[in-house]
Order: sequence, then C-alpha cells, then structure tokens
Amino acid sequence: MATLHLRNIEKTYESGPQVIKGINLDVADGEFMVFVGPSGCGKSTLLRMIAGLEDITGGDLLIDGKRANDVQPSERGIAMVFQSYALYPHMSVGENMGFALKLAGKPKAEVDVAVGRAAEILQITHLLDRKPKALSGGQRQRVAIGRAIVRKPKVFLFDEPLSNLDAALRVQMRIELSKLHEELGTTMIYVTHDQVEAMTLGTRIAVFNHGVIEQVGRPLDLYQEPANQFVGGFLGSPKMNFIQCAVTERRADSIALKVGCASGFELPRSVAADAGSALTLGVRPEHLELTRAGDGIAARVDLLEHLGDSTIVYAAIDGADQIVTIKTQGGRTALRAGEAIGLRPQAGACHLFRPDGRAIAAQA
Amino acid sequence: MSVTSSDSPAASELAVSPPRRRRKLQAWEWAPYLFISPFFILFLVFGLFPLLFSMWLAFQTWDPSTGLQGMEWVGIENFKFVLEDDWFQKSLYNTFWIAIVSGLPQHLVAIPLAYFAHTYLRKHRNTVVGVYFLPFITSTVAIALVWNSLFSRDYGVINMALTSIGNLSIAGMHPLAWLFPTSNVDWAQPQYTKWMISSLVFWRYVGWNTVLYLSALQTIPRDLYEAATIDGATSRQQFWHITVPLLRPMMFFAVTLTIIGNLQLFEEPFIITGGTGGINQAGKTAAMHMYNTAFVDSDFGTASAVAWILFLIIGLMTWANNKFFAQKD
Repeated sequence: MATLHLRNIEKTYESGPQVIKGINLDVADGEFMVFVGPSGCGKSTLLRMIAGLEDITGGDLLIDGKRANDVQPSERGIAMVFQSYALYPHMSVGENMGFALKLAGKPKAEVDVAVGRAAEILQITHLLDRKPKALSGGQRQRVAIGRAIVRKPKVFLFDEPLSNLDAALRVQMRIELSKLHEELGTTMIYVTHDQVEAMTLGTRIAVFNHGVIEQVGRPLDLYQEPANQFVGGFLGSPKMNFIQCAVTERRADSIALKVGCASGFELPRSVAADAGSALTLGVRPEHLELTRAGDGIAARVDLLEHLGDSTIVYAAIDGADQIVTIKTQGGRTALRAGEAIGLRPQAGACHLFRPDGRAIAAQA
Repeated sequence: MSVTSSDSPAASELAVSPPRRRRKLQAWEWAPYLFISPFFILFLVFGLFPLLFSMWLAFQTWDPSTGLQGMEWVGIENFKFVLEDDWFQKSLYNTFWIAIVSGLPQHLVAIPLAYFAHTYLRKHRNTVVGVYFLPFITSTVAIALVWNSLFSRDYGVINMALTSIGNLSIAGMHPLAWLFPTSNVDWAQPQYTKWMISSLVFWRYVGWNTVLYLSALQTIPRDLYEAATIDGATSRQQFWHITVPLLRPMMFFAVTLTIIGNLQLFEEPFIITGGTGGINQAGKTAAMHMYNTAFVDSDFGTASAVAWILFLIIGLMTWANNKFFAQKD
C-alpha cells in the first residue's frame, strides 16, 4: 500500500499542445481514486505518466514520499490493468499471470504459489492452462487483474478496464472490483469516462477537463455540490439541466429569478448576485417537478421516454427556446407530446452558476 | 375393365398441345459467363494444360522436333534416370546449399532489422525500409551484371577492398594477411561460385523479408509491450518473449516463400554463370538443370520428371516448415 502525491504535474508533447496542465493531487493510502472525464481530457495520459509509460515533462510524482519521475515502470511498485487487457496471446493464463515474477528470476515454485493464490481470489483456477483466446471478455478481465495482483503492487492502476464488456458484465465486474478493493485494501487509481462507474467505485473522484482537474471529492459531494457547470453537467444521468435566468430581486435570505416567461421564481437562500445579472440555473432532472399548466415555469412536452421504473420527459420552456429533461418516478404517465405543463424546480436542490461556469455558493 | 393409355386425360392433352418453342437465352443470363470466361480460358490454356501435360510428359520420352507422334511411353524410367543422374544430384546439392546459405541469413537479419525499424525509427522508417526493398524490384539482369562487375578478378571492387586490407602495412608487417587475400581472387573458381550467388540472393531478398516482418510487427498491439515493460521486461526480453512468438505466423509464411523461391532459383545463377552453371557446374541449380535438360538437350520427358521431383521436394519442405512453425494450442 502506498500514498501518491502529484505536484504540478505537466505533460507537453514535442511540437504539440500541453495536455496535462499542472495537476496537484494527493491520493491517500488504500484509497480508491477515480479519474473521470470526457475523451481527450488527459485522464489516461496522467495514469500512464504515473505508470511510467509516458514521460513527465514537469512537476513531481511522489510514490510513498519518494520522487518517482525517473524510476523504471517495473520498479515503481505499480501494476496496471489495460483497457484491452493486454494479455500475451501466446502464453497460458498461468504464464501470463506469472510472467513478471518469472522475469524477476523468482523460483518456479514461488511463482506457482503466487499465481495460484491470485487465481483463487479471482476464482479462475480452472482457467490457468487456457490461452487468452479461449476466454470470455469477463474471464480475460479477471486474468488481467490477476496478473496485477501477482505482482503485489503498492498501487493498482486501471485504464478503463470495463469498457469492452457488455452492460450486464460491466455491472458484475464493478461489484467485484469494489469487493477486491475491500479485500486487498491497496491504493487504486481507476480511469473511466463512465460517470456511473465513477460514482459507484470511487472513494473519491477527480473530474478532468482539458488537462486540469475541475474538482476532487467524494462522489456524493461532487454530485450535490458541483464546483462548476462542467462537473454538474458531467456527473449524473440524465445530465443536469442548465436554464438561462436573470436575477430580478435580491433579498436577505432569498433571491428571485426570471426563468423563461416565468418571473418570481424564488430560491430560498442568500446568493451573492446583483439584481439584473444573468445566471445559469442548474437543476437535475429528478429535482424538476411536473405541475399543471399555468403553475411554475411554463413548458410544453416535447418527447417521452419510458424506462420502465421511470419516465424521462423532454419539455420545451416557453420563451426560452430550450429543452429540459425531467425524470419522473413510475413507468406510466398520462402526459402526451405537445401537452402544456408547468415545471417547478425543487428550490433546495437548485444550483446557480456564473456566466464563466463557476458555481455561486450560498452565503451563510 | 381395361383402360388404354389413349383414354387418360393427360395423354389426350399431350396429343393436342402445340409444339413448344425453345426459349431464347436472355443477355443477362449468358453475360456473366462471357465476362468470367477469359480467366478460365487463360487458366486452362496456360495453367491447367501445361500442368497436366508435364505430368504426362514425365512418363514419356519426347523430343519436340519429332512432333507429338514421337512420344514414347517409358513409365517411371525418367524418374529413375533423374534420381540416379550425377548432374541432377549435384544441382540439387547446389540448390540446397544456396537455399540455406542465402535463405537463413535473410530471416536472421530481416527480423532484428524490422524490429529495429519498427521500434527505433520513426520519421525515416519508410525511407530505410524502401532502400532495403529496392533490390527486390530491380531487374535481376541488372543486379547480376553489377554483381559480376563487383566480383571481377582484375577490376572488381571486392578484390580491391579485400587486397587493400590484406596488404595493409604496419611497420613493414602485414598483420591481416593471414585473414585477407593479398592478391586478386578469381571468383569464377568453383569454390566461390555458390558464395557469390548466395550473397546476391541474400542481398536481393532481405528487404522483402524485412517488409514482411515489419508488417507483422505493426499488428502486434503496443499494449503488450507496455504490459511487458510494467512486468519488468527489458527490450531484449520483450523481443524474445513478445515479438518472436507473435511473429511465428509471419515466419511460417516468409520461410515458406523462401523455401519455394530458393528451391526454384534460376535467374540469378543463370545470369551469373552465363547459363552454364559455372566451372564444374558449381553454380548450377535444379531449376537450371531442368531448363538445360528441356531446352538444350531437348529431353522434355526427363525435364518434366525433374520438375515433378522438385515439386515433391518443395511440398515436403513446406510441410516440414509447417510442422516446425505450427501454433501449439
């Protein structure tokens, strides 16, 4: 187990752009840290820099307090699980798992014991003599994890390891990874673009965008208190609605907003925003309530999606030329496309963002 | 009660129905056969017929100048004669000698060369590989003529270079005279002929094999090397544990091509030895022997037997190669 400290980490390719722009991050011993963000945000690059597969062009990487920028990948005490699994196709499962120990010159008996122990943890003992091509996606995934376990690393690195699995298997493997973390207690860093994986797996999440960390924190903290519009929009499915609004009146303990054609929408909290200023109201789909027409923000049903346990309603706000998403519980609804409705955001769950995207904190 | 055939309704219908007109084939029905026919016609004339005819000839004695009626069935006599023929045995020995001496280094050099180009050359990889590939697309005649010039006894660059080293004088001594010649070597002598041909064949095909191995290397996922790096494998260990095993299918393919090509070697020895096979037939290959038997001695029956024996040898070698490189699952 180990701690990890990233100090102003930068990555600039030769004759290319800077893809990692001064990352500062501390990963505690035994923590399950998830890097999440859209494609091209730099999360995988940073993971590869921690692994030693990419050079660090600026800043310091400290593993267990020791600078590891120039340490060989095999000597950093890390193990990595690749998106493609990267299993050696000409070796059996057992040989794949024991390859690192074999290279390290360990006696065969010792290698066999280590491989057998890892295989037991992952319940793949019966697969040890098979070649990777004779395995299913989930089994390959387990072997890749097993190969990492055998090395007894201080830090596990996972690079989108569930991306190639089908939806059902992904859920199953997600649970198994959580259990594995509990069992091993090792520091893990997990890269994904799937916010559900991030929310369910991570002790903490670091949300990446354009080579910087937008916010780091516990999953629910990020979900409930996003630091900016990007984080609010990235976490949550369906994503958070952003509605343009204007401050009509600022009072001591509340603020009145004009949303679409509806004015007088009141948020019961003190916000540092002057009357007349343009803001963005962020409301998650589950925090928008449907009311009868004429009550709340006037809108019209555009489309309905029935998910069985819930219904997603897409509605156009009158006067705002904007579609918002509402998530209602229950699979059946009497709503029809084109029907006039009213929308009432749950005032306590609303977020306000400045024009530059930063969240406006409620004043004490 | 008796019923005659003329009483049945079907028979009466047949009797009165008008004669059927033959249906005319529509263009879309015969056009596909027309379009595909050139291939089949060419294949039958220049592919299948010569193949079957040579098999038939292998059991005949025939001089084409006597016409087709001059053919005479001799059974397996041609095969017996060929297998007992000293010249054929020598040509076969020469063929194998050149095949091994030129073929083995082709792969031993091409694999590391391709690995180096793939791993370390970025911008200039295609240029370097293109330069290595150039001899493959150059005329054999031109190459053989240049080779003859290089190995010329009196004016060749090879002799000039070797004797310069051999005659290198340091304090009046010639320290390298024991290893290098001090006077011009006559490369036309039988002991050098096969070396000369082999060096030419090696030089000509090493680029081709490099391209084959390079294409195979490009299909090996980079992830595997990265995983091996994290597992602690050095570059050399990655080469032996990752690259070489994953190149096996291409090795099988490339070695098979080398076996087929080298056992049919004709152009290079033919031009270098002026079609004679060199002094004491030291550079005469089996393919050259077959050619001479057919077109110089006009013995097409024996030449066909040589061709089929060569085919069987190539088949056997390819089978052995397949056994050696077969994937163990």
